[in-house]
Amino acid sequence: MSIELLIQAALNGFGLAVVYILVALGLTLIFSILDIINFAHGEFYMLGGFVTYYAFAVFGVNYFLTLVLAVLVVGAAGVLAERVVFRHLRGKTLNAFIVSLGLLWVLQASAQLSFGVLDKSVGSAVSGIVRVFGLIISRERLVVIVTACVLMAALYVFLKFTRTGQAMRAVAQDPDAAALQGVNIEAVSALGFGVGCALAGAAGALLAPVFAVSPTMGALPVVKAFIIIIVGGMGSLPGAVLGGLLLGAVEGIGTLFMTSAAVNMLGFLIVIAILLVRPRGLFGVA
Amino acid sequence: MSRRPGLSPALGFGLLAVAGVAVPILTRDSYYLDVATTMLMNLVLTLSLRFEMSTGQLNMAHISFMGIGAYASALLVTRAGWSFWASLAVAPLVASLVAVPIGRIALRVSGPYYFLITFAFLEVLRLFFNNAFVDYLGGPSGLVEIPRPHPLPLTGGAIGFTSKLAQYWLMYALFLVAAAVLIRLEYSRFGLVASAIRQRDLLAETLGVSVTRYKLGVFVLGSFFAGLAGVFFAHSHQVLHSSDFGLEPMVLLVVFTVIGGAQSVWGPVVGTLVLSVTSEFLRELHHYEILVYGAVLMVVMLVFPEGLVSLPGRIAHALARRRRPNAGTTVGARVAP
Repeated sequence: MSIELLIQAALNGFGLAVVYILVALGLTLIFSILDIINFAHGEFYMLGGFVTYYAFAVFGVNYFLTLVLAVLVVGAAGVLAERVVFRHLRGKTLNAFIVSLGLLWVLQASAQLSFGVLDKSVGSAVSGIVRVFGLIISRERLVVIVTACVLMAALYVFLKFTRTGQAMRAVAQDPDAAALQGVNIEAVSALGFGVGCALAGAAGALLAPVFAVSPTMGALPVVKAFIIIIVGGMGSLPGAVLGGLLLGAVEGIGTLFMTSAAVNMLGFLIVIAILLVRPRGLFGVA
Repeated sequence: MSRRPGLSPALGFGLLAVAGVAVPILTRDSYYLDVATTMLMNLVLTLSLRFEMSTGQLNMAHISFMGIGAYASALLVTRAGWSFWASLAVAPLVASLVAVPIGRIALRVSGPYYFLITFAFLEVLRLFFNNAFVDYLGGPSGLVEIPRPHPLPLTGGAIGFTSKLAQYWLMYALFLVAAAVLIRLEYSRFGLVASAIRQRDLLAETLGVSVTRYKLGVFVLGSFFAGLAGVFFAHSHQVLHSSDFGLEPMVLLVVFTVIGGAQSVWGPVVGTLVLSVTSEFLRELHHYEILVYGAVLMVVMLVFPEGLVSLPGRIAHALARRRRPNAGTTVGARVAP
């Protein structure tokens, strides 16, 4: 087995992993701000996929404009969900779990009723392949990887350097102290929920041309996102990125040697192995 | 804990026992008997899940131990040639034995971390049932041809368990045992300690409670009852599939428990009964079934954060306040700004 093949396989794994990282970042951002595990997160991903389907495949809008549209629409949906439902559940992890489950079923059933249950093909936005140092990568995957990385960088800059981003991190650390410093908790948690959902929407829009869109498309990425945040540590953004890259490497290289079922199992065994050493994940704090 | 307001344990248990006897008197329809049997099985699962939650931990791998009991019993009967009755006693022990190492790992963390680590175990065990030892566990196509419970030999004949009615009675007996143990424990010193751990585990620790050992004991006992339900499931369905022990059925157990009210031992009972009956009615809605079910969950949880079991107390409180309008305002926390 040549080293090129290994790198190629890892690269294929990363292609999907970067998108799952976006989903995981949204999930972990929402958890850090509201102490809520949003089980309906995959449905916001699905929503992003359908925005792409209708804008790009049906109405023929430019693909990159479609991406922006998906981020805005899904982000607005997230803000709405927070204002109507989740703001009542801040800190009530168990109740929020049940409510987000209810929301999952409502959104999934609504999508089935309005869009139909069948898979819808979006079609490629870009075609062709690129060769870099003897590695082959499709242009489509390259667009996905680059866009996802740009979004991650944008999130980093937003959280690190803008006042709103700093307020968000302050609320994540200690909501009471943040409120005492004049941070508007309500606005921050609505925005944080919206940003988290927008990330999922972007991920759905990015993968829509790669896979088909369907009302149940959110189930797989959300499970992957859960694995990522278990490994990386709940509420930790760097943890989500590292966990995602690890998962991508394992899945990409694993598929060279074994069946996809065995790879899935291996992924979870690695999760357990990491939790044996670090029970709260790589970057988790008590 | 007789000081606690609400239903007395003996009365509540008696009501459940009588209701269980009433079902076969009211109907012999095999569909309704099936529904009632599944309800009793789910009650064993939700009562034991709530039992584990009484220490403040939501075990997302609870249904995996049902799976371990089910697969263990199926293998003991079909491969080792055991009698169903021997397997009924041993397979739940297998589930609780497996629970020891898993509990030791998972219980090092708490709260959302515990939720996620047990979720990981749920997936690992489901993938194990689906992919490991395919010759024995059946792989993706499932484990088939599991025999019905063998006739129970008694002096002067034997009781057969092939009819729906006989299976209902078997599940009823298992339910009575599980409910008696779990309700009794709730109203004992054991339940008090669990409540202390849930409210402030550090404080409980300083008062001499070995929190970790206690939580592990609760985890192992809860898994025993999940395994017991699993044995019944294996021999009544006669087919096992890994998806029977996946996230979806697990999530339903959590929904039953929390909608009913996880704070009270009667919560899972109320939740399981109400939601099982509700979903039978919602079936009429066909395409809208899941939509309405999801909306009902959201509304109930937002209106009754403590679960449906808090409804009588809230009505009583509202009536008392109507009679004496200032009754509520004497509580310090209510007046404080």
